[in-house]
Amino acid sequence: MLAVLTAINAHAQTPKNITIKGVVVERANGLGIPSLVIMISGTQKSAGYTDSDGKFSVTVPEDAELVFRYMGFKTQSIKVKGKTDLKVQLVEDNATSLKQVQVIGYTPKTKEVTTGAAVTISGKDIQDVPEANLISLLQGKVAGLNIQNNTGSPGARGSIFVRGLSSIDVQGSGNNAFLTPTSPLFVIDGVPIDANTDYEYGFSGGGPGISPLSLIPAEDVEEITVLRDAQATSLYGSQGAYGVILITTKRGKSKTPIIQYTSNVFINTPPNLKEVLGGNGERTLRIWQINTFGKDIYSARQTIDNAPFLADSLNAFYNNSTNWQDLFYRTTFNQTHNISASGGDDNFNYKVNMGYYDENGIIKNTGFKRYSLNMNTRYRPNAKISFNANISTNLGNRQNGSGNGVLQTGIASAASASSLLPGPSLFNGNAALGALITENDNKTGNLKAVVEGKYEFIKSLTATSTFSYDYNTGTVETFTPAILGNNVAKVYSYNDKRSTLYNRNMLNFSKTIKKHSINAFVFNEMYIRNFQAHAINNEQTTNDQYQGPVGSTGATSKSGILDNYFDLRSVAFASQVAYDFDKKYVVELSYRLDGLSTSGPNAPWSKNPSVGLRWNFNKENFLTLSKWLDYGSLRASWGKNIVPTGSVFDAFGTYDYTGFYNGNQAVGVDFGTLPNISLVPTTTTQYNAGFDIGVLNGRLSLSFDTYYKMVDNQLRSKALPNMTGFANIKTNEVSLVNYGYELSATVRPLSKTSKVEWTLSFNGAINKDVLTSLPDGARQQLIEGGATGQAILYRLGRNSLTNILYNTKGVYSTTDAVAVDPATGMRYKTFNGTTTPVYFQGGDPYYADINGDYILDQRDLVPAGNSFPQITGGITSFIRYKEFSLNVNMSYTYKRDILNNALSSMFQNFANPLTATNLVPIEQFNYWRSAGDNATYPNPYDYLRFGNYSPTSNAGTQFLPFRYNQTLFQEDGSYLKINTITFSYTFNRNALKKIGVSSMRMYVTANNVYTFTSYSGPDPENVSDLGRDMSAGYPSRRSYSLGLNVQF
Amino acid sequence: MLKNKTNALLILILATLLFGACKKLLPTDKDAFNADAGFTQTIYQPVLGRTTVMSNNFNSQGSSLPLTFKIVGIRNSDGISAPELLKSFPISVWKKAYDGSEKTLAEIEAKRVVEEHPFFEIRQHSGELIMWSEATSNIVKSFPDSGYVFDVEVSNSGGRKYYNGLKLQPYKERAYEPNNINPLTGTSTGGNIFPTRIDNIVGEASSSFLNFGDVNISFHRKGDGNSLSFKFLDTLSNPIDPAKFKLTNWAKLIHGFNMKMTTTEVTYDVAYPIPCVFIPTPYTTADGRRASVNFLYDRMGFGGVRQVARLGFDFTIFQKGSWDIIIWFKTDNPKFTDD
Repeated sequence: MLAVLTAINAHAQTPKNITIKGVVVERANGLGIPSLVIMISGTQKSAGYTDSDGKFSVTVPEDAELVFRYMGFKTQSIKVKGKTDLKVQLVEDNATSLKQVQVIGYTPKTKEVTTGAAVTISGKDIQDVPEANLISLLQGKVAGLNIQNNTGSPGARGSIFVRGLSSIDVQGSGNNAFLTPTSPLFVIDGVPIDANTDYEYGFSGGGPGISPLSLIPAEDVEEITVLRDAQATSLYGSQGAYGVILITTKRGKSKTPIIQYTSNVFINTPPNLKEVLGGNGERTLRIWQINTFGKDIYSARQTIDNAPFLADSLNAFYNNSTNWQDLFYRTTFNQTHNISASGGDDNFNYKVNMGYYDENGIIKNTGFKRYSLNMNTRYRPNAKISFNANISTNLGNRQNGSGNGVLQTGIASAASASSLLPGPSLFNGNAALGALITENDNKTGNLKAVVEGKYEFIKSLTATSTFSYDYNTGTVETFTPAILGNNVAKVYSYNDKRSTLYNRNMLNFSKTIKKHSINAFVFNEMYIRNFQAHAINNEQTTNDQYQGPVGSTGATSKSGILDNYFDLRSVAFASQVAYDFDKKYVVELSYRLDGLSTSGPNAPWSKNPSVGLRWNFNKENFLTLSKWLDYGSLRASWGKNIVPTGSVFDAFGTYDYTGFYNGNQAVGVDFGTLPNISLVPTTTTQYNAGFDIGVLNGRLSLSFDTYYKMVDNQLRSKALPNMTGFANIKTNEVSLVNYGYELSATVRPLSKTSKVEWTLSFNGAINKDVLTSLPDGARQQLIEGGATGQAILYRLGRNSLTNILYNTKGVYSTTDAVAVDPATGMRYKTFNGTTTPVYFQGGDPYYADINGDYILDQRDLVPAGNSFPQITGGITSFIRYKEFSLNVNMSYTYKRDILNNALSSMFQNFANPLTATNLVPIEQFNYWRSAGDNATYPNPYDYLRFGNYSPTSNAGTQFLPFRYNQTLFQEDGSYLKINTITFSYTFNRNALKKIGVSSMRMYVTANNVYTFTSYSGPDPENVSDLGRDMSAGYPSRRSYSLGLNVQF
Repeated sequence: MLKNKTNALLILILATLLFGACKKLLPTDKDAFNADAGFTQTIYQPVLGRTTVMSNNFNSQGSSLPLTFKIVGIRNSDGISAPELLKSFPISVWKKAYDGSEKTLAEIEAKRVVEEHPFFEIRQHSGELIMWSEATSNIVKSFPDSGYVFDVEVSNSGGRKYYNGLKLQPYKERAYEPNNINPLTGTSTGGNIFPTRIDNIVGEASSSFLNFGDVNISFHRKGDGNSLSFKFLDTLSNPIDPAKFKLTNWAKLIHGFNMKMTTTEVTYDVAYPIPCVFIPTPYTTADGRRASVNFLYDRMGFGGVRQVARLGFDFTIFQKGSWDIIIWFKTDNPKFTDD
């Protein structure tokens, strides 16, 4: 790419030297580029370096041409021609450029010769938004990376899917049903971190529920690379099946030390809260409902008289209009500070980064704090040997209130109390009070140390050894005062420790002979992962001031080691050969052998081969001279990856003390789970084909990928017939397939000479998943819906997660509209848990009678909907004019079905006027009011005919017009969200010089700005992975921040 | 150059084919059909002359619903085909819901229409079997004949299974309930039908309370028509004036119209069957399965006590016609005069 031009004028005399001063800055933010080596074109000589502010002073021949080259930027050449003062603006090399270096499979390569599908995001793109979890900021930035920020709880993370669904496993049922998280593997500075850990237990509230990703300060991130296909992830084999995300932290790269300070002050505001009827309005409505729909006037009067909160309106206890939501939601002020010091060159460099993040949740008694200190350094005494060390320590501290990592059930139930009741006090509202006064303190500490040594034996043969230790400890301390639990105070104390010991030894050979380049390496890799958790639960402590450890009741107090203990070992051998001819034709072959301690003894090793091909057709002779084509390539790959699932107990069984036999102590197998000696890890096999093109000198670049991904050997528990003696067995019989298309495009509509720089990026991914195998060759399997009745159907050939619902076809406008059984003459009917039928009438929902027996029962359920988003993506626009820049990020999800449980429970609150729950104004809904109405929602008031919504009753056999499991509440959850808008200003460098600052930038950011959607609930994104919008979720906050970035 | 272009094209075509091929490997979205699914009842014995829906007779064993049911090969027990069950006949079916509030006979009849149906049908997706009331023993074989044998084809998109040798053995008509008809022969066995309730009716001769056994009720079909009469007979079979049951709510006695009361009988125009639909109405028992009538009068009893006497009877009549219900005070006449 370097234009080679003659620098020496043959006719001239020996040119005389002149001294040139100047500054090299990034065009994007005006920051000086330090330690840039200035070369003289046509020679191998360097003229000098820039200092920490990017300033330089070099003495060169007056006709020389200076070359400014810096990693990550486009190289710029400037002819001196007697100029003595230069201002050089380097333009960042955009992400689609082929010269970019990506570290895929532990060895750096230019993108030009990688065959896999990978996308790199610069750390700068995510650093203007204060957010506890940096991964949430990747939303909408990478095609095929579907991020749903479905919890607003600070320090928790949303769900991450790379190329669709990877597991059909659902834990829990009803509102507490969750898809088993299958987030990709995160590799931070070359060390794999499993993001699913510490999070899988977040649901049960066992651990602190802090995502390990929340412990990384975004300011310290240099870049993030998302690997999507099998070839790119092949060398992360033993865990890479769900995709791999590489995070690289910053390194020192300036000869003179740099100190950089970043600060954000931000305000979090809660979303619009739901309106409720308050005080007298609520009482009047309830009394009207009883009078209108009660059996008769006498029983209605009696009913009201027996309900003191309706009848005794002057009683101080009931004469209230409490705004319950207002008690919990708040606007908060928050801050983050980050300071880093770095310096050095390629032979010796260092970096120290200190971060502080403090966010108070928009729900009272919740929040997240992070303290982090990260250091790295590199020593390279000579060209043959180098040594890298990296230490990072992070501490996360979180308050969960009375909820857990994901749900705020206490607040949800408290905030839905009747406004007639007084606010939380000793006499009322325990759940509410609990949310406010429960003392809860969750901490996660993380210590990570990495050392890496590299030695080049002979030219082109390098040995690298990496060793890391990652230690996490989590503690939870919760104290529940006695007034919250029938005068029983509770102390809960939890602590866990998790460690990962990791080692990799690699031998790398690379050689280029003429146009043939070969790069081959072999490595072995092993890790040991341990986890153990302890918990103590003391009840009935002496008083609220004395919080254990003694003085509790032995009978109800428990303590011990939790059964989620594990000790996992893995060892792998891997090799790769990459060959390219003139960077035109590239072939990559890799093979990996993985052994896992959780695999059954019959199948200890899994073999994971992969193949990748690439053809850079722009290098073909017929295209090299074309002016419009910057680059163009075709890629294809195939490969296999695994991820460990299950535990050693599933493969080898659990052996317990089983009493005495013949006078000897006996040890026997636990009959709960039959050991499966053929257990294998979950395997993905993926085909990928890709196409990259860049045209018109960077004005338009485009990348398209299509894939076919099989996720086989998913772990699933299967019940065994009792004659086997065992209850269950874990097998690998579930498979699914994802296939889809991904497109990213970047357009620069304005010419390079324009004063305004505008970059517009768009990406989108279509993903379809199909279930292909179930245990025992079954065609379908139904997962019961629990309290909400929302069952899930697994059926071959369909999307993997199908809802099973009653098909609501409308609302009967009159009783005459109800179908009549021609044989019996009876109207369409159902039963309320007894043999007495309930005949449908005007104002009732019309559920399709699928089997035509004129009885609504469970045989009339239909498979409907797909809770998994099918099209996801994002739009980014970046505009800069002089010192001002405006960055807008949007993300979208299209074609996704949400079950609006929040709305149905809102209507359900009208089902019993005597229950003191809150009533939401429903006048805006088109519900049935009188005969002849063409309504969307049934009559919510006819309470005497309704069955019992309570989860303890068998909701399946009841007449429930606002039941959760009906298509009436299955809504389209498509949305377009404006994630962030950032407006920034870069100060003039000359003015800053006087105060000793080399650069300064200020910016304002609005986060979670607005969501365009037709969904009737509050937020189509804040729903579970199964598409259920429950009212107990933690709402996403909107934040406004003011940021400052100073470099000394 | 040309060769390169061809190469590119070739790769594109190959990639497309590869993906097309992969999609073909995916299973198609078909229903599950469990071969263990089956009928829980294989012998069906409806009573002719009344519409009978035989439900809850199939266990799908987890097969995908709805299943499609079809009767095939209905035949006599000796294997000869049974055209009487294959042919369609005009059948009166409900179109709108009867609820007991209808004001005229025409209003009730407007809720029914005549459609063509075979006498014996299976509901397409529920597997319920229906024997229509129009099937009578003069067309359809009934006990003591061993009836019919039929097969059912059950299918969904995932599979199909034939269930062979199901039996249909109809009983002869029993036009009314309660009765003393032998179900196997369809002939009366004699004996008495007693009232359902009898309170405070004092015998004229005995001066003691009459009991169930003192009253005998009989049904008598006079011919075609749409009427129902109640007649009261004394021990000598002389008519008793129905007006003597003076507290009776004649207007709401049964769901009938155009009441005509003479000294010998009281007659209504009614819709058959009685009750029309098995739902609770003011004219039926609490469960709605029988019409319920109560004849009341009061008199001053011994010692100047006012006694309200009641004779109550719950019944059904399936066959359309002009019916008499004759209430015969067999052993003693009711005493209507004060003591």
